[in-house]
Amino acid sequence: MRNHLRGALLSAMIAVLCTAFLGAGARQPGAPGAQPSSNAQSPAGGRGRGPAGPSQPTPRLPDGTPNLGRVPGEMGVWNVPYITNMGERVIEEDGKTYAEKHPPTFGRGRGAPVAGRGDAPLGGGEGTTGGSGRGGAKSEPQVPFQPWAAAVYNYNSSNNSKYDPEGYCLPPGGPRLMATPYPMEIIQLPEQKRIIMVFEGATHIWREIYMDGRPHPQGDDLNPTYLGHSVGRWEGDTLVVDVVGFNEQTWMDYYGHPHTDMLHIVEKFSRPTKNTLAYEATFDDPGAYTKPFTVRWNINWNSTGQLTEYICQENNKYLQRLTDDFGQPIFGKKQ
Amino acid sequence: MKAKVGAFTAVVGLVLATVGVLAHHSFAAEFDANRPLNLKGVVTKIEWSNPHTYFYLDVTDPEGKVVNWGMEMGSPNGLMRAGWTRNTLHVGDEVTVEGAQAKDGTFVGNARAVVLAATGKRLFAATSQTETPQH
Repeated sequence: MRNHLRGALLSAMIAVLCTAFLGAGARQPGAPGAQPSSNAQSPAGGRGRGPAGPSQPTPRLPDGTPNLGRVPGEMGVWNVPYITNMGERVIEEDGKTYAEKHPPTFGRGRGAPVAGRGDAPLGGGEGTTGGSGRGGAKSEPQVPFQPWAAAVYNYNSSNNSKYDPEGYCLPPGGPRLMATPYPMEIIQLPEQKRIIMVFEGATHIWREIYMDGRPHPQGDDLNPTYLGHSVGRWEGDTLVVDVVGFNEQTWMDYYGHPHTDMLHIVEKFSRPTKNTLAYEATFDDPGAYTKPFTVRWNINWNSTGQLTEYICQENNKYLQRLTDDFGQPIFGKKQ
Repeated sequence: MKAKVGAFTAVVGLVLATVGVLAHHSFAAEFDANRPLNLKGVVTKIEWSNPHTYFYLDVTDPEGKVVNWGMEMGSPNGLMRAGWTRNTLHVGDEVTVEGAQAKDGTFVGNARAVVLAATGKRLFAATSQTETPQH
């Protein structure tokens, strides 16, 4: 019994690791130890990837469009990789992202440190490819910051993302929804001409993508929101989603890349094999960046997974302890 | 056999500790990986809640003075995926906790792993810490 549990725990944890770090550019569906025993599925669905094997083709709906969600009769969720620094996922001039060029090694302190962006050896850091240090704007030449945006990013780097709105249990918008530590599902409703995306994380939220050809609201009719206004269409086998109308209450990522309400995002979702969601997003924010840039990563299908509840707001003690730069409590009586 | 178990859990511990699986707010903003904790004590309170589960334990120092520590863990959904249920820990349980202390030196920590004395079972705490201390 103990042996079984250990084996299952190891498999599950290696699967989690592979998901978290190999999400970008992962080509082979099999990974060492990613074959969970039948006891590896907890009631919550675990984070196992199901049996690895030859890649299966894109599942399709009856009308032929790609099915980005569950196949009827099966379970499954998308194991969103935890990505904290969008800067590492920017497609650079050579057509690759930093993360694709520097897949993380496991473990810490093994071998000589590699000088990456930032300044720490690979293998550490919350959800990054490597480096616990934050090098700030000058360590990310691939991100076209405007000077004020670089200054804000440096400030967020210097205090370890102390004021991240997600720490306040506020939802992120944009690609950060696809970069949380928790899984998500895509539910297509072609008869209703819309797609619903449901997120366990990002404060347990959903988003609605209109597929009926409607335009974005204009002027004052476009009320800025956390998730923006999303309209989508199919281009071949790729779902293209156009989003505007973001408010300025969110960070693009945990590291604190800022954005303005001029942000316009174009996302591309495709499912080249059953087990892979290829995700790409172009950020076009002339208020904060000097030109558009595109991020990309792959997301793995967890064929036995289910979403569980996550109500961030219920006991957020961090907020009770949070002080501003002058030592005054953010919430509660000032001294 | 014992050595194998030890090596196994060490590898697994290292593997898990390098993954920022369930960081909600910044670990580094509140806790210090270079202030490692290894506490033995008796559980006095449990808050099974989001975004972080907390439990408190009475730790007796060599002089016999009792200090109550507060430990932060991951969210219930994350903990359940790591093998916990809401009834895994009880008030009165003797546990050993590994983790990191708060930066401000208070009796608060972030738990990385918990060992239940009664069964010897070791569970990872779905922590937001991602660096194992260098010692």
